Amino acid sequence: MAGGVETVLDLKALAATVAGDRRAFEGLAGRHRPTMLRFARALVPSDAAAEEVVQEALLSAYTHAGSFRGEGSVRAWLLTITRRSASRWRRAEPAVESLDDVPLATLGIAAGWGAPEASPEHLAALAEQADLLGRALARLPEGDRLVLTLRDVEGLSGEEVAEVLDLGLAATKTRVHRARLRLMAELRAAGGVHAGP
Amino acid sequence: MLAHDREVAGLRCMQALEILGAYADDELPPDRRAQVEAHLAGCDWCERFGGAYLGVLGRLRLAVGAVVDPEPPPRDPSASSDDP
Repeated sequence: MAGGVETVLDLKALAATVAGDRRAFEGLAGRHRPTMLRFARALVPSDAAAEEVVQEALLSAYTHAGSFRGEGSVRAWLLTITRRSASRWRRAEPAVESLDDVPLATLGIAAGWGAPEASPEHLAALAEQADLLGRALARLPEGDRLVLTLRDVEGLSGEEVAEVLDLGLAATKTRVHRARLRLMAELRAAGGVHAGP
Repeated sequence: MLAHDREVAGLRCMQALEILGAYADDELPPDRRAQVEAHLAGCDWCERFGGAYLGVLGRLRLAVGAVVDPEPPPRDPSASSDDP
């Protein structure tokens, strides 16, 4: 696990929280709330619902600060709590299964692999438009959107993503790769190049 | 499925596609990474696709906030600050 300054700060804040320091928890919450909100927003259908989910998650984290075992990052722990809070809100587990029955080659072709007319420069230019990228991400199946949000937008490690989504590491890495290919296919479709599976 | 699934630098194009994610995440051992790079250097289509893959990934990683909040919610004047 990475031992950056942020990690040390988080661990100190959590320890202080357990000791009764509420301000320490407020600092911790302030640092991670934006990430928790973005993740929650990928799980529930509205900004208001995401706020509600994160509110509950933070309350749960504060109440159960002593339950953090230190096996992963505090960030991953908070996002796991957020996922469970979202599950309670939805009364269902989020669908983390991507389309695993689609052959990888099929996903690759849809993403532009081996397509003589596909231009990497064109795809990169499409991705530079944040609104197009955001819409392409929103069009993905929920499982793909979740893994990409955590891994590539929020920058969690593969191990952290696996922990938050309660998946095996190898399965997580496979899903991330397949989700990226799906995103590329969505961008190609947005750019007028259609080669779906 | 693909007429151009050929072997370059000891790696078939399909194999390169399979491990492209690990390559982009710098998770490959050095010798495997070198093999992927040699394949990309010798296979025009895989090089183009690999470039596109890395390019999209790079844009995604830079676009925090802009990607996930393409339309900021309207401000609610009645919203109160929250407590943990």
